[in-house]
Amino acid sequence: MKLIELRVNEIGYQLWVWPHETLLTVLREKLGLTGAKEGCGVGECGACTVLIDNEPVNSCLMLAVEANGKAITTIEGLAQGESLHPVQEAFIEQGAVQCGFCTPGMVLTAKSLLDHYPEPTEEQIRKYMSGNLCRCTGYTKIVKGVAAAAQKLRGGK
Amino acid sequence: MTAENIIGKRIPSIDAQEKVTGRAVFGSDLVFPGMLYGSILRSRLAHARIVHIDIARAQRVPGVIDILTGADCPTERFGTFIFDESLLAREKVRFAGEEVALVVAIDRETAMEAVGLIEVKYEELLIVLNPEQAMLPGASLLHENHAQNIAYEVHLERGDVDAAFKSSYRIYEHEFATSMVHQSYLETTGAVADADSNGRITIWAGIQNPVGARWAYAQALGVTPDRIRIIQPYMGGGFGGKLEPKLPALCALAAFKLRRPVKIVQSRSEEFMAGSPRVPIKYRLKTGVSKEGRILAKEAYLIGDNGAYTRWASAILSTAAYRVDALYEIPNIRTTGYLVYTNKAPTSAFRGFGNGQTHFALESQIDMIAHDIGIDPAEIRTLNATRPGHTNVHGWFFRTAGLKECIQKATESSGWKEKLGQGRGKKGIGIGCCVHVSSNRAYKKEFDGAAAMVRLDESGIIEVYSGEADIGQGARTIFAQVAAEELGFPFEKVRIHAVDTSSVQFAWGTFGSRATYVGGNAVKKAAEDLRRKVLDYAGEKLNIDKSELNLRGSFIITKDGKQWGLAEIGFNYMCDHAGSYLTGFGHFIPDSAYPDENRYGNVSGAYPFGAHVAEVEVDTATGEIRVTNMVGVHDIGRTINPLLAEGQVEGGMAQGLGWALLENMVYDEQGRLKNPQFLDYQIPTMMDVPDSQVSFVETNEPSGPYGAKALGEPAIIPITPAIANAIYDAVGVRITDLPITPEKILRALKEKKGDKAKREEL
Repeated sequence: MKLIELRVNEIGYQLWVWPHETLLTVLREKLGLTGAKEGCGVGECGACTVLIDNEPVNSCLMLAVEANGKAITTIEGLAQGESLHPVQEAFIEQGAVQCGFCTPGMVLTAKSLLDHYPEPTEEQIRKYMSGNLCRCTGYTKIVKGVAAAAQKLRGGK
Repeated sequence: MTAENIIGKRIPSIDAQEKVTGRAVFGSDLVFPGMLYGSILRSRLAHARIVHIDIARAQRVPGVIDILTGADCPTERFGTFIFDESLLAREKVRFAGEEVALVVAIDRETAMEAVGLIEVKYEELLIVLNPEQAMLPGASLLHENHAQNIAYEVHLERGDVDAAFKSSYRIYEHEFATSMVHQSYLETTGAVADADSNGRITIWAGIQNPVGARWAYAQALGVTPDRIRIIQPYMGGGFGGKLEPKLPALCALAAFKLRRPVKIVQSRSEEFMAGSPRVPIKYRLKTGVSKEGRILAKEAYLIGDNGAYTRWASAILSTAAYRVDALYEIPNIRTTGYLVYTNKAPTSAFRGFGNGQTHFALESQIDMIAHDIGIDPAEIRTLNATRPGHTNVHGWFFRTAGLKECIQKATESSGWKEKLGQGRGKKGIGIGCCVHVSSNRAYKKEFDGAAAMVRLDESGIIEVYSGEADIGQGARTIFAQVAAEELGFPFEKVRIHAVDTSSVQFAWGTFGSRATYVGGNAVKKAAEDLRRKVLDYAGEKLNIDKSELNLRGSFIITKDGKQWGLAEIGFNYMCDHAGSYLTGFGHFIPDSAYPDENRYGNVSGAYPFGAHVAEVEVDTATGEIRVTNMVGVHDIGRTINPLLAEGQVEGGMAQGLGWALLENMVYDEQGRLKNPQFLDYQIPTMMDVPDSQVSFVETNEPSGPYGAKALGEPAIIPITPAIANAIYDAVGVRITDLPITPEKILRALKEKKGDKAKREEL
């Protein structure tokens, strides 16, 4: 086993991990952060998305040892107490959430998109987020949610 | 948010915040002290006798607690309607991926390692993969008691089909085939099960029919249903594929034996290999029409691919045999159908339930007829559309039927008339329609409907108890709206009790598009009952005639403005009755009949309709198809929550697009699934699905809650034929077997060119 250091949602952890353990497994099973989900295990669905240095990463494809020393944001770290992030608020208001399984990954990818592109076109939204699969919504309201979040972040309503 | 008039409002789901924060706990997230992990050994052969299972090496792996095989299962088989399955294979395996052994260990890795050390000796048997071949005499038999591999058959006849064909202006005969596709819900099937020292089992799993599932699970485990408690956590989608799925029962088998909590979560490949995909149906359709395009006769021959075990497929075949006949007013019908076993994954229920498959056929053919006769495809549908007040030849009665209005609205808002036939060989527009049921009584003579309880506690909070599961579609929110509306209670304070089979009453489950129609109606009646009881008690307590009292917000009020808090009333009642809470009970029994021996009878209380218009662009050089627009209009009686209802249709259309163009489970000659992963099984991404416009037609169905009818399954059905029809409009080729791939388009274009060249030569 190897000793690694992870900074997850602003908290530092020292963990013993197996070399072959994925970051997803370590987050879910060692840290109890079950917001990141295993949808496919091969990096195709995006349900395991976390942010590392504010970039979306498929945590099922990253070994925990690769994340040594990194700052990681999971869905649990997005809201500040009772205060939701504008992406979370917009998703709720726009009806962008049905079963909720893809939602943590979607929200984090959207947050990262808006940090890079504060005024994204619909095409940019769809392209950036195409690695996050959803089977329930047909994506229409997710795209609307991201656009609404962009407006909130720019100071609109 | 005011408490009243909450029906018809765009309200976000009450559980959306749990989901966007990652707090919602799904089955695969659950962890219990002392929990063990299971891993499944699956057959790599599609058809073989099990000669010997050697678990010796596997047992010696440190951390392995137990290994179960078919010998640990009851000898009697279980199933939903046909009892042909066992939790672990006994004597034979019948598909590649079938469960042969279950290793239970201290962690998942240990379990998986031990699985790799189990040695199974098989005697290979001949494989059948094609249902038509499987039906031939002498074909390799999967189940000894099903001759010719026929699991189920349907024969029905109405009117005089042969005479009607004789008097038809034209007759059309075509064959259609739909594909094996997987629900591909994002959450794979998983469960935690535990058993106490008395052998009372608890299962935590995302199951669409938690209460109803106990019957099949009891049979599978060899116990009585009362021994099984099911608690449903948040559920990551179902679409029909999680109707009493096998895995939770297999998990319970281990927990029951070991009296310890056991967790099993399927990987995505396991989900594809051993899930319950859609029943592929081959549909030979012969239709006779009048000169005007009116359908006079319909003769159909169906073959459904059952896969290795039946599960719900027999009900799918029944549904496929007659539900599509409700779309148009057809006086003469003959249908023959067979459900045939093959050595592939056990096919079962997937949104549409057999109705989608047959709609692909009929909605493609009626388009072909329209083009041949020279009528607008939207007009031929309007001409034949089922009208309100009609009783069809199967005895189905359509109190409300908004099909014509759906077609009109869909064509108007999509610019149908301007675009039809104007695509210049590149663009096309197509329409598809559907009819469906709102719950139905075709499964069990004794049962259709739902029950609910609504409770007022000592702090003035309303809690709703319903066993109809929220599978991600928003049933919780709908039930909260109904309760809030009936009781004048603040919507955001209504609680929905977890679906725990120990607390809720019996519920048939979330399938057949039942939850709003029967579940919502039951909640409404329970809320009405509570309202009566609250006002009765308050009237007595306050010495005021109950006719002077009303409920608004969290108060009981009189006309002249006096008010008492519901909390106060709730507390007083509780004290006066030493702890009893004011509780309302309600149930709803639809006006539905169990089909007789000729399959005649009005199976459902209400029939929803829909129309979808699709626009496509076809690249004639590569055959690639891009869907550029989708318009969906649905007659759902009354839209209780437009935000949620739109979401259903948008999601359904995306799924139907995937079915039309992208998805297909492909088997090799050895019966092994070649694409058990999202890598090669493509579900639509954000880049594949265009923006869509969804709207509703309200026909105010008197039997529905506030006039509502079903939506869950109608949402997916019309778009698939609409896309096929749009492709025909664009490039003049007709693909009759799904999926419609670029290769098929190119081949068809080439043939068409070849035919044209031949004709020019002549």
